[in-house]
Amino acid sequence: MGDILEVEGLSFRYPEAPRNAVSGFDLAIPEGEIVVLAGPSGCGKSTLLRTVNGLIPHMYGGEYSGDVRVAGSSVKDSNMRDLAQSVGFLFQNPENQIFMFSVERDVAFGLENLGVPRSDMRARVDEALRLLKIGDLAQRAPHELSDGQKQRVALAGVLAMRPKLVILDEPTSLLDPKTASELVALVARLRRELGTTFVVVEHRLDLLVEVADRLVVMDGGKKVLEGTPRDVLFGEEAEAHGVAVPAITRVQKMLAGKVGVSADRLLAPSELAAAVEGRGA
Amino acid sequence: MMWLSGGFIFRRGESFYHRLDPRTKLLNSALMFVTTLLARSVFEMALVIGFMVGLSAAATVLKRVARTMAFTGLFSGFIFVVNIVFTRNLDTSLLYAIRFIAIVVSTSLFFITTSPDELEQVMKMFRLPRDVVFAFVTAVRFIPVMMLDTMQIMDAQKSRGLELEKGNLVRRVRNMIPILIPLVVNSVVRSGELAEAMESRAYGAVPRPTSLLVYRARGTDIGAACAAVALFALVSYSFYFVIPVHFP
Repeated sequence: MGDILEVEGLSFRYPEAPRNAVSGFDLAIPEGEIVVLAGPSGCGKSTLLRTVNGLIPHMYGGEYSGDVRVAGSSVKDSNMRDLAQSVGFLFQNPENQIFMFSVERDVAFGLENLGVPRSDMRARVDEALRLLKIGDLAQRAPHELSDGQKQRVALAGVLAMRPKLVILDEPTSLLDPKTASELVALVARLRRELGTTFVVVEHRLDLLVEVADRLVVMDGGKKVLEGTPRDVLFGEEAEAHGVAVPAITRVQKMLAGKVGVSADRLLAPSELAAAVEGRGA
Repeated sequence: MMWLSGGFIFRRGESFYHRLDPRTKLLNSALMFVTTLLARSVFEMALVIGFMVGLSAAATVLKRVARTMAFTGLFSGFIFVVNIVFTRNLDTSLLYAIRFIAIVVSTSLFFITTSPDELEQVMKMFRLPRDVVFAFVTAVRFIPVMMLDTMQIMDAQKSRGLELEKGNLVRRVRNMIPILIPLVVNSVVRSGELAEAMESRAYGAVPRPTSLLVYRARGTDIGAACAAVALFALVSYSFYFVIPVHFP
């Protein structure tokens, strides 16, 4: 499969900012991958994401150089209407992206804006509600929903537009651990069922390492590390760049070389459990 | 104040009146409103009020409407007293007092049975610009959010020693500044995030957006509209042909 997202030599500086928010950034993401973007706060992750769905340069001005292409089309030369259909964006706070008074109306919001005929819209709304398992919430008002439900509703609204690429900006930051795990499982299921590509900005890496294909670390507006989550997290540099390495990985690093410690570079509790079971057998 | 606001805030319901086309509800309320202005006898006014009470009962909102009536009764009493002092006419004073209640109930009945989604459709029906309709929708949508924000900010400031209820009026107003500043800042940040989310979901992509909701008049709509038209016709007939013109 080809690359759904290509970023080439991207640099961007906000008006009157002293330095670039993103500098000389290159990235290529094949269709169907889940890519996690990590790095300390203020390192340029959110700016990079906004260059992918066109908010930069179409909504925010600034010094822009390089190129970002989604499904082969340059973001700079595309309009927001086309970009909204190919790139879905789930923002950090779901409250601020639910506009309507009922869940189903909100899921239909983007489709209404695109002028999708009603019969088609109905089918796509129902499909999104089914995918997110929120059909029972269809008539609820936003203030009657929990944070986790709001996050699902906002994601349903994004998916109803059938984007090829979905960006999730710190999607678990307002969620409790259980709801956060459910959201990650949902992302894995959507990739499996729909083949959707996901770019996820996330600090809680322990949640995502099991489903992510690739981990990209940014620092100071630049890409500093890229590879499989296992390679990046077990490398020497991840922690130096402010990445919250999962506890299980840290423990293995601390005990590296000690007797009885596995050399398998385990990332997740499930892997540890499997390794222990295997040893017992 | 909560009583009065409760008389205008929508709550979901399953009655036949809740399910009516919002245009029918608007027509009914508008006709009831005009009919109350045309009614010139206590009997006619009682007829109009009776019709509203019947509709409220059918819409299962009688209790809320009764509370609104009781609240507006206070103002209505004031109107009665002023009129009886100046006109010395019991019928006229009573009529004006009841008319005030009827006007409030006719509008209240529309708002408490019509969801904001339906209000939006009604606004679109009047061909208001999309931006205006969307600004209204967003404002109403974020009322509960802003209320929650306010409560959280008040709790946070109180926990840091702010005493909202202490001092004279000037002091109390000044005490609100630490509540209002974060509230305004929050709202500005929120509006920026909303704008981004709107762009990301293709707001303004086509000049004529479609709608998931489509309203069609059904038998119950026609029945409800006919009842309101009949009442209007009856009172109009009386206005022009039965009761002498000098009566208010």
